[in-house]
Amino acid sequence: MSPSKIPPLTYKVVAECSVSKARAGLMTLRHSEVNTPVFMPVGTQGTLKGILPDQLIELNCQILLGNTYHLGLRPGIETLKKAGGLHQFMSWPRAILTDSGGFQMVSLLQLAEIDEHGVNFRSPFDNSQCMLTPEHSIQIQNAIGADIMMQLDDVVKTTTVGPRVEEAMERTIRWVDRCIEAHARDDDQSLFPIVQGGLDVPLRQRCVSALMERQVRGFAVGGLSGGESKHDFWRMVDVCTGYLPKDKPRYLMGVGFAADLVVCVALGIDMFDCVFPTRTARFGCALVDSGQLNLKQPKYKLDMEPIDKDCECSTCKRYTRSYLHHIATNESVSCSLLSIHNVAYQLRLMRSMREAIQQDEFPQFVQDFMRKHFKDDSIPAWIREALAAVNIQLPTDPERKSNQEQKPKTDKRQEAEEQMATS
Amino acid sequence: MKFAIESISKNSGRLGQLRIKDGGPELRTPLLLQTTKGGSIPWLSADVFESHVSQKPQVLQFTLSTMDQMTEALTQWHSSGDRGLSDYVGFPGHLNILLLRDPCETTPSGGNDRDIQPLFTRRGKESLTPERYMEMVASFKPDVYQGLCDADTNAESAKKRVQKSADRTEKFMHYIYEHRDKVESTLLAPIVGGYCTFARTQSIKHVREQPAGSYGGYILEGFHTNGLTATTLESSKLLSIVEHCIKQLEEDKPRIMTGAYTPLTVVELISQGIDVFDTSYAYCASLNFKALTFGFVQDAVEHVPFLDITDEAIKEEFKPLLSNCSCLTCQKHTRAYLHHLYKTNELLGPILLMVHNLHHYMAFFEAIRQSVANDSLPQLIELVRNQNGKSQVDYSISANTKVISKATMGKGFAAAAV
Repeated sequence: MSPSKIPPLTYKVVAECSVSKARAGLMTLRHSEVNTPVFMPVGTQGTLKGILPDQLIELNCQILLGNTYHLGLRPGIETLKKAGGLHQFMSWPRAILTDSGGFQMVSLLQLAEIDEHGVNFRSPFDNSQCMLTPEHSIQIQNAIGADIMMQLDDVVKTTTVGPRVEEAMERTIRWVDRCIEAHARDDDQSLFPIVQGGLDVPLRQRCVSALMERQVRGFAVGGLSGGESKHDFWRMVDVCTGYLPKDKPRYLMGVGFAADLVVCVALGIDMFDCVFPTRTARFGCALVDSGQLNLKQPKYKLDMEPIDKDCECSTCKRYTRSYLHHIATNESVSCSLLSIHNVAYQLRLMRSMREAIQQDEFPQFVQDFMRKHFKDDSIPAWIREALAAVNIQLPTDPERKSNQEQKPKTDKRQEAEEQMATS
Repeated sequence: MKFAIESISKNSGRLGQLRIKDGGPELRTPLLLQTTKGGSIPWLSADVFESHVSQKPQVLQFTLSTMDQMTEALTQWHSSGDRGLSDYVGFPGHLNILLLRDPCETTPSGGNDRDIQPLFTRRGKESLTPERYMEMVASFKPDVYQGLCDADTNAESAKKRVQKSADRTEKFMHYIYEHRDKVESTLLAPIVGGYCTFARTQSIKHVREQPAGSYGGYILEGFHTNGLTATTLESSKLLSIVEHCIKQLEEDKPRIMTGAYTPLTVVELISQGIDVFDTSYAYCASLNFKALTFGFVQDAVEHVPFLDITDEAIKEEFKPLLSNCSCLTCQKHTRAYLHHLYKTNELLGPILLMVHNLHHYMAFFEAIRQSVANDSLPQLIELVRNQNGKSQVDYSISANTKVISKATMGKGFAAAAV
């Protein structure tokens, strides 16, 4: 059989958790096999901040995310076409996923307006009136040539309520048909529709069942992680995975905090992406099981331990917290060193989850993780509820601290999330 | 530190073997030190350097002006184990040499007080007394360190300033020679005095008055004020003052000149008998988006010194920076991609450029050692001078002041939209 006869995406579940909805799978794409659940580091402009492709391969990163909006501006579609697509252009042999560009337009360009044709906006360069239609988005993504592409969806602010949410959901369904129609490389690239419907359970259900009628190889869950309450967040994820077919991968867009990853894997999500690990690296922060270390803090000045003595990454093998404290945010190499560690952390977390699922020890893994992650703080109620919904009970906190004491941590987290939502 | 000269020739400089510490590797001169900033090779993690540039042991060139804030941590580091200074910055097994000034950036002028040497750091101006300096050397425990000196001179310096630099250096060094027993590191004796033969002779005389075992080599400073200033020197002036100095130095000690001297100046200095240089020229080129492309292997092709990464003309050139180059950047990436990384201000840009530039510059030194060994340095100098063209090429580097214009961006969606 010639390669073009094999579908560009095949997915099979290799193990299921006997308690929760978590599953481990193998997704085979044109450029790589991908073990799921998977975290996809974000390489917005055809590069992952300060990391060589070879280093990513060494970390066993199997799939990267590229942003269509940025790549369309620079290097531009013509250059990408001449280069033979993004894989060639950036010399990345493994899989790539691209978004539709719609989210960036709505979040970065304040003047964007959406109507039935597409997204209207003023060009940031010559201020001319432009429009991104579902067809354009697909043409551009066809030129980029990613293994997985996203439909253009009608993005509304997560906290929007009322008829606009329903309109956006319905329009997203109409647009997916236009995207499918425009898709010219179905032998090489797989188009994912995006489940919308705000924080409204019936809308989400309707959206899922409408999208399931289309010929697609996987699904994305969108419109979350944008400032909604965590309670709403997990319930929407739970609703979507409850209705989505089991034999296709599910991608939750823009989620990447460690605790969220663990909860959403338990809820049955297979793919994640987030800029957080590389962004926080630029501010001198390193991810560890208990949260993150802000290495700029004076307490690390004389700390001769690695970031995490159990971490296998090249940064932890060679560098102390003390040295990183001195160079973080001062020498640009610190950004590479912390990005490597943070990406390694995310990938290791996903690998641990896959292994736990395969050995059917996932509930135990979740309990251990939450204990390490929250240490002395009590575990947030939404996490307890979300996990209880999939039959994973967390032990009660040994001694509950007052709400007052928890507050700062929650605030900081909220802040980080808001910062991400606006990016 | 042990230094043995393998061969000396009239026109081809000298070939030597340098063992910086007992049990350490034997290094061949002319030698290239790896310039660092804050202890790291600029932009490159130790992992990237060892995987993609070189696995051979290097001599890391540390500078107090980029590392002084680590003094306290290094005291603790050394007291809590037998790991060395190179281990602390992620390069175990590599040697190191501690200098005062960062050769990569222009050192500000002034602030020279009678008893205090200014040290320009990220946090501003610090004041070093010889006492404080020796304490810091004791905390750092480098393999080699330079003597404290006033090198705030260049070709334009007034006679008075030059004389002062020699006088003050003498005063500082008086203390250092007296207290050098307090540290185990090998001392490099500083030779200063700008472009003034009188001041240089005075500086050398003071060094030569010391017992021969009190220092392990010479460091010649005060010809430029670091950064790009070293790339624009008038070479005839430089060569004649260096020649004046060399004649008076002991043969059996290595001679070091730091800074971003151009490839042509480097080979000329080597033919005069300078032994050790650093990679700051590769840094300066990378910082200003220039890929080194000068030729140093005898062929009949005309070469250009640089490829300008900011040049719009390479936007769609899907070929390596330099054909036949075996570095990671040239093997895996294209000019178009490097140009894109420049345009988008992505960190991978300088990383890939530095990998190439270091690779190229280190290969250049390999070629130099070969030429010195088979007494063909003059031919190499000729090649470097004209690059097989009709006239001398310009190796100076000017600061990149281009602003990335949004007008040159693709219009992206706008182009696709109707």
